[in-house]
Amino acid sequence: MILAVNTTSDTSVTEEIKKHAADSGLELEVIEAAGLRISHCIGCNYCWLKTPGECSIKDDYEIILKKIIHADQLWVISDTALGFLDHKGKNIFDRILPIATMYLKFGKDQMRHVRRYDNITDIGIIYRGAADSEYLERWSKRAALNFDGRSLGVFGTDRIKEAVSCMC
Amino acid sequence: MHVLMINGSPRVKKYSNTDKILDKFIEGLCETGTTYERYEISDRKQWEDIRKAYYDNNNILIALPLYVECIPGLLMEFLETLTPKGDGTRIAYILQSGFAEGIQLRCGEAYLEKLTGYLGCEYAGTLVKGDNFSIRFFEGDMRDKVTGPYTGMGREYAANAGFGTKECKAFTGYEIFPAHMRIILGIVFRTVGRVMFTKISRSWGCTRPLDYRPYQ
Repeated sequence: MILAVNTTSDTSVTEEIKKHAADSGLELEVIEAAGLRISHCIGCNYCWLKTPGECSIKDDYEIILKKIIHADQLWVISDTALGFLDHKGKNIFDRILPIATMYLKFGKDQMRHVRRYDNITDIGIIYRGAADSEYLERWSKRAALNFDGRSLGVFGTDRIKEAVSCMC
Repeated sequence: MHVLMINGSPRVKKYSNTDKILDKFIEGLCETGTTYERYEISDRKQWEDIRKAYYDNNNILIALPLYVECIPGLLMEFLETLTPKGDGTRIAYILQSGFAEGIQLRCGEAYLEKLTGYLGCEYAGTLVKGDNFSIRFFEGDMRDKVTGPYTGMGREYAANAGFGTKECKAFTGYEIFPAHMRIILGIVFRTVGRVMFTKISRSWGCTRPLDYRPYQ
């Protein structure tokens, strides 16, 4: 399953993704997150050490978390700020900590947390607005390590068709 | 010199590792006669004061934990409210993480240099160091052993108005652990490490295994 989380208020982006995905016969689930209550991560470590796998913040992120653990791909659609994802887009990634355990390992020559679930998720980013795309590409590759996955790429909203081609 | 210090951690001050690092860093800074004012991003009630201090100061230091390879979302939310300065203000950073190897923090460090440009300021370098996860769990000498070295870096910063010296670069420690250390640490992670983390979790009232799967 491909999961797309749209943190922007622009649903035309997800409409276009849905259209191209349908043309390609992809199994796609879209979460429009702009209207959801999603806090930032507060770094409490409860999801690792007090209530393993559960976030202490009881908000709408749980809807996304329950989907991510079954998703083969996670695409985050985000506005940009200061050359990067804006805070709403970044919060989607910061809140993934419950999918990892407190346990550590060396994998792919990097120290990482051992994942909690069997599923591996690749990640992709679609951004709206000005961004340092070269840096975002670098960051996306790093961020994917937290899912034990790989980066599927970083695309501006003018390249949605290309992004969907990477969902196949 | 007067420095605006911002703790960019979203974790509340009491449990913030970054806060404990700043405590030690400031000890060294103050030995040189440098003065400072200090704020916490985790406390939204301070945001208006931080914004004012950002515009009023020309030496800024932001200390932050690495969150998913870059800056925490809450710090990003605050920074989005600022207007670029363009007045020669210098911003330096203390970037810290749980992961111990320097290579883990380089992507975040690269963004901080770019961020400084977006804020219309001059980049004064980043002090990069990992292996700080345990700070909140330690007290007294044990904590000082981890945070104490930052005092020397406070002196370095005060003397150079930034983190450009070779001493600051060397502060990171291992960029990548040598193979034999990785083998040893891998064994520790699978044995003693798991016991230690489980012990901490029990002291927090956790009754479940740490690899529990609540959604499956």
